[in-house]
Amino acid sequence: MSGRRSRSRQSSGTSRISEEQINDLIIKLQQLLPELRDSRRSDKVSAARVLQETCNYIRNLHREVDDLSERLSELLANTDTAQAALIRSLLTQ
Amino acid sequence: MAFAENHINTDVPEKDVFALHFLQTLSNLSTQNPFSSPDKKSDRVKKIKKAAYVSMARAAGCTDRLWSRALLQRAAKRNNKIVRFPRRRKRVTWLRRRSNRRDPVEEAAAERLRNLVPGGGEMKTSKLMEETAHYIKCLSMQVKVMQCLVDGLSPK
Repeated sequence: MSGRRSRSRQSSGTSRISEEQINDLIIKLQQLLPELRDSRRSDKVSAARVLQETCNYIRNLHREVDDLSERLSELLANTDTAQAALIRSLLTQ
Repeated sequence: MAFAENHINTDVPEKDVFALHFLQTLSNLSTQNPFSSPDKKSDRVKKIKKAAYVSMARAAGCTDRLWSRALLQRAAKRNNKIVRFPRRRKRVTWLRRRSNRRDPVEEAAAERLRNLVPGGGEMKTSKLMEETAHYIKCLSMQVKVMQCLVDGLSPK
């Protein structure tokens, strides 16, 4: 009995992160999301919604990296533009 | 001692650091294989994409972060292949107190998140959220850097 209690107290104090810290992290995440950052009633946004929007946002960013890689590859292969030559000389210095 | 471990810090380096690492990685790429060489287009895109993720992980401090460590390890393993984030099956339980009344939507979203953040499958949920915040910041920084390069290179 007493052993159980002391174990639970120990785990909540050290290895576990408090509910409050989880909520802080949720708020921190929320502030990074363009979709939710500006919501007026920020306290009404559920943790589930924040996590869902986080997934969507990461997926969008991955897609942006894909698109930009494609455009960069085209631009760097294109020898015509002066800027490309400039960057290329920068890269190959 | 637990306090230091629980300290939440999601600061990321300046944009210049990301730009520098990206340009350096691109530079290594171009010396190996000039961009104007008749490489297959899809290969070139894959290389640039990989350069983007790898240089981002380096800029973020290599092994300081679980996600960047996982990403770099995976990139090294799959050399010459596209950097992908495979689905992880390993499940990590939430706080028991919390999971008793967690709604299934939240749980499903957390699982999706695990698959999106490199190395997410092995993280405790609190760690996952901290790493996610850091990963998002770095990713959007990398996107900004790449957008700047594209804008600068685009014919006016």
